[in-house]
Amino acid sequence: MSRSRRFIVAPAIAAGLVVVALASMTPAARAQGKVIKIGALLPISGPGSYFGVQDKQGIELALEQLNKAGVNGYKFEVKYEDSACGPLPATQAAKRLVEQYKPDVALGEECSDATLAIMPIMAQAKVPLINAGSSAIKITEPGNPWTFRIFPDEVMQGNNIAANAYNKLNARTAVLLHENTNAGIGNAKVFAEAFAKLGGKILADIGFGRDVNDFTAIATRIAGLGQVDVIPTYTLEGQGLKITQALMQAGVTKGGGGKAIQLGTIWLPFGFEQKAGKAALGYVRAVQFDPLDKRPLVHDFIAAFKAKYNASPTHLNAHAYDQIMLIADVVRRGATNAQSIRDELAKTKNLPAITGTITFDAHNQNSSMDTIHYMETQPDLSWKALGWN
Amino acid sequence: MTVVLQQGINGVVLGSLYVLVALGLTLVYGVLVQINFAHADVVTLGAFSAYFFMHGLGGGYLPSIAVALVIGAALGWLMNAAVFAPLRHRGNELLPLIATIGVSIMLENAMLAWFGPIPYAFESPYSNDVIRFGHVFITQQNVLIVATSIATIALLYAFMKFTFLGKALRAVSQDRETAGLMGINPDRIVMLTFMIACALAGMAGALLGPVLVLTPFAGTSVIVKAFAIVIIGGFGNVEGTILAGLLVGLIESFTTQYLDTGMIDIVVFGLLLLTLALRPTGLIAERREENV
Repeated sequence: MSRSRRFIVAPAIAAGLVVVALASMTPAARAQGKVIKIGALLPISGPGSYFGVQDKQGIELALEQLNKAGVNGYKFEVKYEDSACGPLPATQAAKRLVEQYKPDVALGEECSDATLAIMPIMAQAKVPLINAGSSAIKITEPGNPWTFRIFPDEVMQGNNIAANAYNKLNARTAVLLHENTNAGIGNAKVFAEAFAKLGGKILADIGFGRDVNDFTAIATRIAGLGQVDVIPTYTLEGQGLKITQALMQAGVTKGGGGKAIQLGTIWLPFGFEQKAGKAALGYVRAVQFDPLDKRPLVHDFIAAFKAKYNASPTHLNAHAYDQIMLIADVVRRGATNAQSIRDELAKTKNLPAITGTITFDAHNQNSSMDTIHYMETQPDLSWKALGWN
Repeated sequence: MTVVLQQGINGVVLGSLYVLVALGLTLVYGVLVQINFAHADVVTLGAFSAYFFMHGLGGGYLPSIAVALVIGAALGWLMNAAVFAPLRHRGNELLPLIATIGVSIMLENAMLAWFGPIPYAFESPYSNDVIRFGHVFITQQNVLIVATSIATIALLYAFMKFTFLGKALRAVSQDRETAGLMGINPDRIVMLTFMIACALAGMAGALLGPVLVLTPFAGTSVIVKAFAIVIIGGFGNVEGTILAGLLVGLIESFTTQYLDTGMIDIVVFGLLLLTLALRPTGLIAERREENV
């Protein structure tokens, strides 16, 4: 065989062998090397960055578990972008993600203002966006085919918190404390309307910027309002700590000898009580994940998290983990790209998750109320599950 | 009446807190006519130094204030020696100004990498001990802040007025070249100014740590107000800074009580614009030779 002939025949044989080998492989094996690209828009810097850090832990745990065997031959890959809990950085991060990474599905953001900013970018790029931490009603209420929220919106939360405040705590007066953001204002407004409808009275509605550090003046004002039964508070953890301490110092809440009960939201992470100290006594707050949940999947999640991070998981870890597991579930159902992931997400019904169950309604909002759990801070700063939902 | 008195106390405490941060800013401006954007990060680093001295080394809170002061001074020396002084010698006033922004971003991100973004619970032994007079209250931590502010102002005044170094510093502030001709080394005085300003910032951080939300961005949250105070008081004017600090603190407290917390920035920055329009040199008329 001449030298030039050998150059033609040898590659032809090699190509033939590859074709035969591929034909003999199972469909799943053929899919090996296929990847579902997930873009994660999380606050990694700024005052909301504790969300991003804890979300990332939950995501990494889920990836580790899923990528051992893959799902329908697909592996999962996450590209993180810092959206910094603000509309401008979130917009920039979302554009970068869509243009450069071209994800099949995206996660984020935690802060409502940032989520509202990235939604149109994802919708335009036809990339489904899964949200687990923003409560503003505007996110799902107008109906956006590309945005899915596994987290109770502000109306679900506000109505539920107001009803429990009125019926379980016998509260008749309330002072609203909230940051001046879409989520802060929206949550406070829903509570005010629901509480008033039940017969309660709002004594004051106090909003503040994220740059406020000293809450003594606000606590003084509340102390001068007479009998306050509950103080629904909508802030990030840092300001939340200072508010709780200022209310105690002013003698408003139980920790300071007062009678008012602070009502907190899903925004606060676990460990808040230990940081706030005795000021947190009697604090009742909603959390998205109950570590005492008896379901095996919760038990397994806690064990796996502890094994990986040597720490107990928080609700932020849990809801980030749920987002990845939800994507895995739709891939298991046959989704392979952005459009099919969106279509399968919309069909999700009664999916068991760590935070509760997931059933999307016509607006792609998780309609399950079992994702809201209540807990109360005890004198030793441990907490008691109240079992209200 | 009780509410007015209580908000008055709250305002003085808040004002003292701002003055502690703003003093270093005004000192640097008085001598160098330079704005130090990295000042906020020295405040934050001071707070973290105190926190880790207490929680990492088991030290007491009061010694931790001294530790933060020393670390602040050391950082002031390092920043000036490594970055600002070489840039100043190039004769372009803009370079050190821009460098302060760079140093600020670098420090902020370094702290983010070292300490993480999750807020620290920095409790001093005085944070939650409340002194009550009838319905009026003040925490021991806030008493400490006010007392330290008064002591710092008194010591700074005495240093400037009665010590050779203080007089040299004022001389450089008035006319650097003539001060040089009188045998004063302006570079050493500038270094001293940076060290004092950053020491004050470090100390302020240790005092503010239990009051602020301690994250790598803690100082940033007060620095905007501190800049406003320095402008309202008169850039480089210590007396003006003190007056403006107390004024802003009181405005914040009474705005919260009688208007709305959301109105605070409108009122404070409205005052800033009014000052710039009516008294561009600040509340206390500029007497450059007597600044700092």
